[in-house]
Amino acid sequence: MAILSARIQLLVAAILFLVCAAVTPLAAQQPTSVNPTAEAVKEQQLLQQLNRIQGLGSIPDVKSYVIEQPQGREWRQFHEVWLHWIGAIAVLGMLAVLIVFYLTRGMVRIEAGRSGINIVRFNAFERFVHWMTATCFVILALSGLNITFGKDMLLPLIGPSAFSSWSLTAKYAHDYLSFPFALGVMLIFFMWLAGNIPNRVDIEWLKRGGGIVGKDHPPAYRFNAGQKAIFWIVVIGGAAVAVSGYVLMFPFYGTTIADMQLAQIVHGVVAVLFVAAMLGHIYIGTIGMEGAFEAMGQGTVDFNWAKEHHSLWPKLKEQNLRTGPGELRGKPSATPAE
Amino acid sequence: MRAFLAACLAIVVIGAGSYFALSTLQQPTGVAYTTDGARISPQWSWRAVFRQAKADEPAIKTGMTIPAAPGELADDCDMRTAWQWIFVDFGNPKGEAACSVSQ
Repeated sequence: MAILSARIQLLVAAILFLVCAAVTPLAAQQPTSVNPTAEAVKEQQLLQQLNRIQGLGSIPDVKSYVIEQPQGREWRQFHEVWLHWIGAIAVLGMLAVLIVFYLTRGMVRIEAGRSGINIVRFNAFERFVHWMTATCFVILALSGLNITFGKDMLLPLIGPSAFSSWSLTAKYAHDYLSFPFALGVMLIFFMWLAGNIPNRVDIEWLKRGGGIVGKDHPPAYRFNAGQKAIFWIVVIGGAAVAVSGYVLMFPFYGTTIADMQLAQIVHGVVAVLFVAAMLGHIYIGTIGMEGAFEAMGQGTVDFNWAKEHHSLWPKLKEQNLRTGPGELRGKPSATPAE
Repeated sequence: MRAFLAACLAIVVIGAGSYFALSTLQQPTGVAYTTDGARISPQWSWRAVFRQAKADEPAIKTGMTIPAAPGELADDCDMRTAWQWIFVDFGNPKGEAACSVSQ
């Protein structure tokens, strides 16, 4: 009897143990009074309702009290993804076009050959302003592209220490060389504005493709439509990057977070398009056209070069009056301009 | 070529000028975006406080003597107190004996 009683007690204990073991996990899954994710849920609801999460702080920068704002994510998406694509397509696309063009068309030669007579195209001050702006632009472009692409392309190549030193130097150069660049853009505007007002001759020049394809030489004054386009790209693009750059350089001087984000978007997009356009300008001014670099290198161009590309340029008439057109026709020599 | 060299010179001059102009217009971020309470001022020093207290008391050597080089007896250097370690001071330790070893 005692044994039976002991066995019944053991059985009851075993059943109770099994019941407890089965019930405990169920109880553990029941909601408790403390929900560890409750704060996050509230924050998300707040964000949806107010479009931003803002707290309180004790430092003077009240903008730092904003903890979350959806526009910040869009902006991050822009400068981490979209700007990379825009920049890569613009710069690499332009490089690809220029390479293909050079391989198919080659250098645009002076058809009549060099006359041996040089005429002044740009005086010393014009060349000084051009080179000041151009030199700054090259440094600004390289240091700016480093901001967008350096982390992905340069950092793995040169390592964090060298990349850090280079980026710091590039950042300072980007800031301080913006001033001579902006000054150069302003001087370019006032210096060459008169010659860069679009007119009817430009329409004809554009219709004939600028003579860049084939052997056509559409008439043009001192600046043709292509050069006028470059002028306005430099003036408008330069003004856009300068203004947006100074907004970024003087953060929150009368601007909000949204204004700063907009300034960075404008600065980034205009800058990469600017770089692409200047690649075209550098191409046509160097290996793309015979005699073109001399205009900015020495300030003079060959008479035949000017006659072929700028047949309406008043200086040509002056030269004709001085030497007589007949003297130039019979000189298709290849004497380099000096 | 001369126009290019003159342009380079102008870039250097204007760039340097803009450096000094910006330095007067703008504050370092550490100053612009913090309050006085959050800054570590190089002008303020716990060391100065301790040094002043020491000057009022009879000189007690608390430092340790460590040979700076073989065969040479070392300079004196003050041991840092716990308070000095907690309130880290980046100030210039003028008037203190330089320690030849890290503490």
